[in-house]
Amino acid sequence: MHRVLAASAMVAASLMAPQIALAESATVKQIEERGTLLCSGHNGSYFGFVEVNDNNEWKGLDIDLCRALTTAILGDPDKNQIVPLSWAQRFPALQSGDVDVIIKATGWTMGRDTEQGLQFSLPYFFGGAQLMAHGDLGVTDVAGLEGGVICVEAGTTIERLVANYLSTEGIEHDMVSYESAAELRSAYLANRCDAFAAWGPFLAVLRATEIGDPDAHVILSDQLSAEPIAAAMRQGDEGFVDVVNWMLSALLIAEEEGVTSENVNDMAANPANPRVARLLGVEPGMGERLGLRDTWARDMIAAVGNFGEIYDRNLGKDSPYKLDRGLNNLWSHGGVLYAPILD
Amino acid sequence: MALTEIAAPAPMGLTPPSRVQIARTKFLKYGFGSPLAAAVSVLVFALLAYILWRFVDWAVVHAVWSRDNVDQCGHGGACWAVIDARHRLILFGTYPFEEHWRSTLAAIAIVATVLLSCIPAMWQPARLAVLWVVGFAAYYLLMEGSLLGLQQVTTDGWGGLSLTLFLFAAVVLLGMPMGLGLALMRRSDMPVVKWFALIIIDTIRSLPLVTTLFTAAVVVPLFLPGWLDGDKIWRVILAFALFFACYQAEVFRGGFQAIPKGQVEAGKALGLGYWNIMGRIVLPQVFRHALPSTINMVVVTFKETAIVTIIGFFDILASGKTAFGTADWAPYYIEVYLFVAAIYWVFIYSLGQYGEYLKGRMALSER
Repeated sequence: MHRVLAASAMVAASLMAPQIALAESATVKQIEERGTLLCSGHNGSYFGFVEVNDNNEWKGLDIDLCRALTTAILGDPDKNQIVPLSWAQRFPALQSGDVDVIIKATGWTMGRDTEQGLQFSLPYFFGGAQLMAHGDLGVTDVAGLEGGVICVEAGTTIERLVANYLSTEGIEHDMVSYESAAELRSAYLANRCDAFAAWGPFLAVLRATEIGDPDAHVILSDQLSAEPIAAAMRQGDEGFVDVVNWMLSALLIAEEEGVTSENVNDMAANPANPRVARLLGVEPGMGERLGLRDTWARDMIAAVGNFGEIYDRNLGKDSPYKLDRGLNNLWSHGGVLYAPILD
Repeated sequence: MALTEIAAPAPMGLTPPSRVQIARTKFLKYGFGSPLAAAVSVLVFALLAYILWRFVDWAVVHAVWSRDNVDQCGHGGACWAVIDARHRLILFGTYPFEEHWRSTLAAIAIVATVLLSCIPAMWQPARLAVLWVVGFAAYYLLMEGSLLGLQQVTTDGWGGLSLTLFLFAAVVLLGMPMGLGLALMRRSDMPVVKWFALIIIDTIRSLPLVTTLFTAAVVVPLFLPGWLDGDKIWRVILAFALFFACYQAEVFRGGFQAIPKGQVEAGKALGLGYWNIMGRIVLPQVFRHALPSTINMVVVTFKETAIVTIIGFFDILASGKTAFGTADWAPYYIEVYLFVAAIYWVFIYSLGQYGEYLKGRMALSER
């Protein structure tokens, strides 16, 4: 009897397959039943991405993206729970269901994508090796360091990247390696190096937090590498990947179209073009295909702003770190971020 | 007249010198006995005084105390404004801001439980059992909240000093009886029981604490059925308590070995049963012999609770790091570390003093 039922259920399911592809994902359904989105936090602070403010509330770029996703699915940016996780713990925690998604400065690597059974969203941030130089040298790019002393941490991937880049560009230099990041930092601050190399956001944090006069240092514009940072999800729920991808895309489209948290309601009342009308749910299409409300993107932008606002608030010009958009700008402004086509 | 005569001080030669007098005599004799000793003493004391003065100058004289004056920070004085602004994060982790009174009460409940457990009048299994159940239930009800009709706060939101105290108390209070049980099993005449205890103790002791906790927190739920794995915090406390128990069992074993076999044999000759021999003859002496190492274990455990940060818990050290983990407060990490260190010191020093009191009390019984 059970077998007959199961078999007929399978037949019915295969007949209904086109509709099922449109139906909402298991993860989204679970989130809606729970009424809470479980996001990854950090077991402490990861400057710019995950921090805690004076009122014991989480903030940062990754937290804002979690709030955006929460608003998209549940309509309220606060209906999430930030689960503090260490770096080592994040993937097992995702697999065991302690969190629904990892948005935690996590690089998209082949090993994680294949062996670890993860699925990545579109990259929302590109972090790579960059160099920081003393401001009084008056340089803005690596070419200006001709003949200078460049310091790196010994044995790191960044050391190789710098060596490669400088020889490819044919820039004469002296390279000095230091055993630890702390030694490297103090050597640079003691003026023993003209510039030193590290992960871009790390340089911005360092400039903002540990150096007396932040304006006295310049992060050079050259990107020596670009490691994509993306949201990670469990393999096997394509519907949820779609939701996360379109959450990120909607933030980018909003920025392209100039929709901000302040003008989103005016734009919805009077959409400038069909793309904006579609994005903000004035014309149907945004919601149904993802199993969400038609106004999800509008609610989300009203709650957290577009991608530019999120970036500027947490890492960019309105934050203490003042990290240039660089690669993390829209394609139309010299960056590499783009959204798929909204049809 | 007669009264005053009796109350008059005895002649100097008859009273023993007071401790202060002895200390002063020794200080003068060893510190300033020869010109060289005097020179070294002066130098050392001058150096100490200079360091102390520099510290006071930094920590008090030039310090900035209020978060309103944070713009004056960074001019040669301590910036205690960071504590003013962030102490609630350090003490309570990411617990919701408006609900901090609950976390405060819960921490007080735990401290009271531990204090009461330290009073000799409470040392009866029934009393301790009631006390611990009431104490931990009070903590859980206040922190979690939903059973009292308050806003629910899941264990992910617990943190700070409140969490550190809870972890410490739970691990020690659970681990102590477990350790005693393992030590007794290890001494059992039945090979199965004995080998079971031996294997557990030796296996857990040969694994690092980090591995044990990581397994309990992250790996166990991957193969345990959902209804059995419970909340992460309970798995971690159980694993930590087991780890503590295995070390404590070895501490107790040292205590057992210090007791001559003849005492047990004498008990048997008198017709006493196992529990009478253990409860009235052996264990009281075991506890006395094991006391110094036990206090040591307890102190170490208090400090080791900081390790739970690797499985995503905001113990006081992790929340301290988070307190300076934002660009506004990042330069003032020394102040935060000092604040956290002072809190650790208060608790650990109290534990040490309690150990001294116990030693004194037990020494009395040996006279």
